[in-house]
Amino acid sequence: MEAMDQGASESTTESSHWPSRWSDIEKILNRTGPLSMPEFEEGKLPAVQKDCNILVIGAGGLGCELLKNLAMMGFINISVIDMDTIDLSNLNRQFLFREKDIGRPKAQVAAEFINNRVPGVKVTPYYAKIEDFDAEFYKEFSIIVCGLDAIAPRRWINRLLCSMLEYDDHEELEPETIHPLVDGGTEGFKGNARVMAPGITACIECTLSFYPPAVNFPMCTLAQTPRLPEHCIEYVKLIQWPKDKPFGETEIDGDNPEHILWIHEKSLERAAQFGIHGITYRLTQGVVKRIIPAVASTNAVIAAICANEVFKIAYSCYPNLKTYVMFNDTAGIYTDVLEPERLADCMSCSIKPRMLRFPRSATLEDVLDFLKESPQYQMSNPGATTATHEGQKTLYIPGIKSLEDQTKPNLSKTLEELGFVDGQELNVTDKTSPTGFTFKIRYE
Amino acid sequence: MIKLYQAKNSSKEDSNKKTCAAQLRINKDVNELELPPGCHIEFRDKNDFLNFRISIAPDQGYYKGGRFWFTFKVPTNYPHEPPKVRCETRVYHPNIDLAGNVCLNILREDWKPVLTIQSVVHGLLFLLLDPNPDDPLNKEAAQVLQANKKLFEQNVRRAMTGTSVIYK
Amino acid sequence: MASTRGKFETRSPENEKTKKYDRQLRLWGDHGQSFLENARVCLINATATGTEILKGLVLPGIGAFTIVDGNNVTGEDVGRNFFLLKHSIGSNRGSAACQQLLELNPHVRGDYIDESCETLLATNPSYFTTFSVVIATGMPESTVLQLSKLLHVANVPLLLCKSFGQIGYIRLQTPEHTIIESHPDDGFDDLRLTDPFPGLRKHVDSIDLESLSRAEHAHVPYIVILLKALDRWREKHGPTSLPTYSEKKDFESIIESLKFKHHEGDDTPHVEPLNFEEAIKARARTLRKTEIPDNVKKLFEDKECENLNPKSKPFWIMVRALRDFVAVNGTLPLRGSIPDMTSDSDSYVRLAGVYKTEADKHCEDICNRVNEILTALGKPLDIVCEPEIHILCRNSHTLDVLRTRPIFEEYERPKSNLITDSLRNNYQPEEPEIVYYVLLRAVDKFFESFKRYPGCLTHLMETDISKLKSIYSKLVQEWGIGPFPKDDLIHEMCRFGASELHTIASVVGGCAAQEVIKVVTHQYVPINNTFIFNGILCTSTTFDL
Repeated sequence: MEAMDQGASESTTESSHWPSRWSDIEKILNRTGPLSMPEFEEGKLPAVQKDCNILVIGAGGLGCELLKNLAMMGFINISVIDMDTIDLSNLNRQFLFREKDIGRPKAQVAAEFINNRVPGVKVTPYYAKIEDFDAEFYKEFSIIVCGLDAIAPRRWINRLLCSMLEYDDHEELEPETIHPLVDGGTEGFKGNARVMAPGITACIECTLSFYPPAVNFPMCTLAQTPRLPEHCIEYVKLIQWPKDKPFGETEIDGDNPEHILWIHEKSLERAAQFGIHGITYRLTQGVVKRIIPAVASTNAVIAAICANEVFKIAYSCYPNLKTYVMFNDTAGIYTDVLEPERLADCMSCSIKPRMLRFPRSATLEDVLDFLKESPQYQMSNPGATTATHEGQKTLYIPGIKSLEDQTKPNLSKTLEELGFVDGQELNVTDKTSPTGFTFKIRYE
Repeated sequence: MIKLYQAKNSSKEDSNKKTCAAQLRINKDVNELELPPGCHIEFRDKNDFLNFRISIAPDQGYYKGGRFWFTFKVPTNYPHEPPKVRCETRVYHPNIDLAGNVCLNILREDWKPVLTIQSVVHGLLFLLLDPNPDDPLNKEAAQVLQANKKLFEQNVRRAMTGTSVIYK
Repeated sequence: MASTRGKFETRSPENEKTKKYDRQLRLWGDHGQSFLENARVCLINATATGTEILKGLVLPGIGAFTIVDGNNVTGEDVGRNFFLLKHSIGSNRGSAACQQLLELNPHVRGDYIDESCETLLATNPSYFTTFSVVIATGMPESTVLQLSKLLHVANVPLLLCKSFGQIGYIRLQTPEHTIIESHPDDGFDDLRLTDPFPGLRKHVDSIDLESLSRAEHAHVPYIVILLKALDRWREKHGPTSLPTYSEKKDFESIIESLKFKHHEGDDTPHVEPLNFEEAIKARARTLRKTEIPDNVKKLFEDKECENLNPKSKPFWIMVRALRDFVAVNGTLPLRGSIPDMTSDSDSYVRLAGVYKTEADKHCEDICNRVNEILTALGKPLDIVCEPEIHILCRNSHTLDVLRTRPIFEEYERPKSNLITDSLRNNYQPEEPEIVYYVLLRAVDKFFESFKRYPGCLTHLMETDISKLKSIYSKLVQEWGIGPFPKDDLIHEMCRFGASELHTIASVVGGCAAQEVIKVVTHQYVPINNTFIFNGILCTSTTFDL
C-alpha cells in the first residue's frame, strides 16, 4: 500500500524556521526539573524531530485534533490512516475539513491541511483500513495514537501490537519490541484516554468490559410487543427490510436518505398500529446508523490529553498517565485516573509467543506430539491453525469430526510441505489452557 | 517510560500475518466445542471459522425426530458482539419466525463475552425442547401452543414432514 | 443517551444546518442550538488558549464572536497557536486569528478590536457588558480585578482561562446562572407509586390480575404489580405505610403471591415471569416518597422567586408558578414519561398515556399560573413560550441556580480554610491541584513585581526559583494556609516559564468552550468555580474559591 500524494506543501527548511518558534516546548525540553523521568535528557527536540515517527489512526473528530496537537508540539514525521470520506455531519467538529471537501478521503484532506498550515511538518496520509497493513508497516512507528469510534479496530491494533512483542529465552520481554499505544475515545460529553505499553500495562482486551455492549432489543419485543419508537425502527430495520426488499437485494445504507426515509415511513406505520408516539426522522437515522453523539469540545480535550502523553513518552520530560483517565463534563468537569490490572488470561497480551525449533522435515504430527509429551505443555488434544497472507489456515482440529476428516492428511505432512516459512506463527488451542498458545516455528 | 530510539531497530521481524483477537477466540471455541448428541457442525470452508452451520436434532419434546439447521456468522468484533444466528430449516415454533429469525435472549439482550458457541448451541437446543409461548416471534404458533397442545404437536409434525401449516 | 424531544424536531430530510449539526443536536436539542446561535461572546487576547476556546464555539455554531487584542503576532505566537500563520507575524493578533477562525464555519460572524483590554476598559468599559459571555486569557491580575467587578455588576458571565506549562486553569464568574436541563447521568423515574394520582389509581384498579390469562399476566407492567402489592401492604400496615428495608422480604412475598396461579395439570413449561422480576428489582428505587429536591426548595426560597417584579427573568416567573403549584398540590409536576419495561404494547401504551395525560394537565396548570403572574406584573404573555414551560415541567426536579463568588472577592478574601483543608485531605499527596492554584496566584504576584514571568529566561532560573519561593511563602503566611508542599513544584513552575503548551491550551480550550455552551444554553451544570487541570498526572479538581 503506497502513501498517497499529499499535494503541494510549501514547506522548506527555510520557511519552517523562525525565531522562538519552539520556545514554549523548549522551556520544558531544554531544562530539567524535579518531576522529569530519570531517563530525561535535555535538548532532545532536534533528535526527536528527526527520528520519531508517529502514527495516528483515524482522521475523524479525535484524529483532526491529534494531528493539529502533534504538529504544534513539534512532531514533524506523522502518518495518518483513515478509511472514511468526509460527510457534512463531520463538520461540527472535524475542523480540518470544509464543505468543499465533502466526499474526499479524510486522511488526505487532513494531511494536506496540516502540511500547508504548519511549516516543516510532513503528514503522510493512508486512505486505507488498518487491516490493510501488517506488522512490518506498524513497527516503523515509535508511538501509535488511536482516535477511533469503534471497538473492533481498537482490538485489532491492540492484538497486533501485542503480537509484535518478543520475549527472550527467559521469557523476559524485549523492550525494543514494545510500541506504545495512546488511545482516546469520546461519546457526547464523556471521554477516556489511556497510555498502554503492550506487555507491561493492561491492554484493550484486558479491559474490554470498559466498553458497554451495544443495545440489542429482544427479538420478540420487536416482533410482538413494541413499546418504544426505537422498537418500531429496529423492527423495520431487522425484519421488514429483508422481507420487503424495497431496494432489491441491497443492504441498508445509513447514508442513503432514500433508505432512511423508507425506514422512517414504515416505522411510523408500525408505531401508529401500536399507538406509539415519538418517531422522528432524526431518531430513525440515529437508531439505524447507531449514531453516537459528538461535540467539538470533548474531542478537543481527549485528543489533547493523548497528544500530551505522546509528548511525555517521546521525551520522558514528565511521568506518563497511569494508565487510564475518564473524563466527563456534563456536571462540572470531572476526571478520574485508574490503573486497571492486566488479565492473567488475556487472549491478546498474556500469550507470550514461544519459540519452537524443528527441522524442516518434521511433520505436523511431530509438533503436536511434542506438545502432548512435553512436560512443559502436557496438552491433551491440541488443535492448530496458522495465519497466512490469504487469511487463516486450519492445520488440524481434532475436536470436530468433519474438520478432523478434512485436516487429518496434514498430520503426516512436513512443516515445509505445509508452507511454513521460518518464524511463522502456529496457533494452538487446547483444553488445558484458557488462552491457547502462539508458537513461532524456527527451522533448525 | 519507554526507550524511544530502540523501538526503530526492532529485531528481524518476519513479515508474517498475525492472528486477530476475534479469530483466536473463535478458534478456541471451535476446537473445544462439544456438541450434544445428534448435533453436527459444518464448515463450507475449513479455513473459515467465522461462517458455519450447526444442526440440532432434539431427542425429546415436540421436535423429536427433526433436524434443524442454524447458520452462524461470527462478527469480527466477537466476542464483544454475539454471533448472528438464523434458522435455515422452516420450523413451526413460537420463538422462531418463518424468515429464520430466532428469539433467544443470549443472542441479543443477554449476550456476554464469556459466552461461547457452545453456550449458544445449548440455548438453541433448550429452545427446541422448551418453546416459550409467552414471548413469541410466531404469535400464531404460540397461541396454538397455549390453547391446544395436541393441535400444536400436530402442526409441528406436519411442518417437519414438509406439509405446510395453514396460517391465518 | 441522545435527547429525543418530539416537538422540537424537524420531521424529515433535514436542512443543511441540521445535518451539519446532527451529532450535537442529539445532545442539546434544537432549542439548545438556537440559544447557542443567539449568543455573542467576547474573547480577550487571541492566545493559543483563547483561540482553542473559540474553535470549540465556532464549530458548533455560536452566533458571533469578537476578539479584543492589542498585541501584534510574534514568532512565539505562531509556534503555539494553530490559528496564527507565519506571514501574520507583526500584524494585529486579533485580526489574524479572527480570519482563520471564521473559516471554520460560514454560519458564524466574527470581528476584532485592535485595542488592548486595558485601553477598552478605560475608554469604553460598557462595551464588555453587551456580550452573552466574556472569555479572558493572558491577563495580569490588575486587569482581571477590574473586569471582574465590571461584569459582576452587569450580570455578564466571565470565564477566566490560563494555560501555564502543564497546568490548566478555568475560573467561572457568574452572578446568576439558571439551569433548566441538568441532564443528570442517573436517570430518575417519576412514577408516583407511593401516592398515585387519580388517573393512575383508576387505571390500576381497572386491571384484575386474577382474570388474566397466563400470557396476559406475564405482560402486566411492573408499575401495576407494585401498586397492587402496595395496596395489599397498606391494607395490613396502614394507608400511607411503605415497606422499609427490613420489611423487604414481607413485601416481596406479597409480590410473589400476585403471580399467576397455574391450574392443576397444566404442563406448559414454567418460565419465571420477567415482569415480576422487574417489580422486585424496582421496589427500592420506586417505593419512595415523592419529595421536593433540595435544589428546588432552595429556588422556592430564593429572593428572586419571592420578590417578583416587572424586571424578573422568565425563569423566576416559571419557578414562582411552580412554587404556587407545589403549594396547592404538594408535589412537583409529573414528568410524564415511564421507562421501558416488560409488557405487551397495549398495556404499556395505555399506562404511558395515563402518565402523559396527568403530566399535560400539570403543565397546563403551570402555564395558566405563568400567565396569571405575567398579567399581574403587567407583562406581555409571549415573553414565556409554552414549549419552554413544557421543558421546565419535565425537568422541574433538576432546576438550579448558580451564583459563583466574584473573582475580586476571591482575591480580596481568600478562603484560607478551604485551601488548608484541600491541602490536608488530598489523596494525591505529591501534587495536590490546590498547590498549583496558590502557585498560579504567586506567579501573578511575581509578574506584578517584576513585569515578567518566573523562569521565562533560562539564565535567571535559579534566582527566579528563590524569588517565587519567597513570594509563595509570603502568600502562604498572609492567607494562613499550610502545610507547605515540597519545593519541587516551585521549581517546576519556573521550568514551565509561562509556556503555553499547545496540548494544555487545547485541554483548557475544550473544557472552557463547553462551560460557555452550558452558560448560554442553560443546559448541564457549569463548574463552581475554579477548575485546575494537572497535565503531569492527568488529574483535575474543582474548588469553590
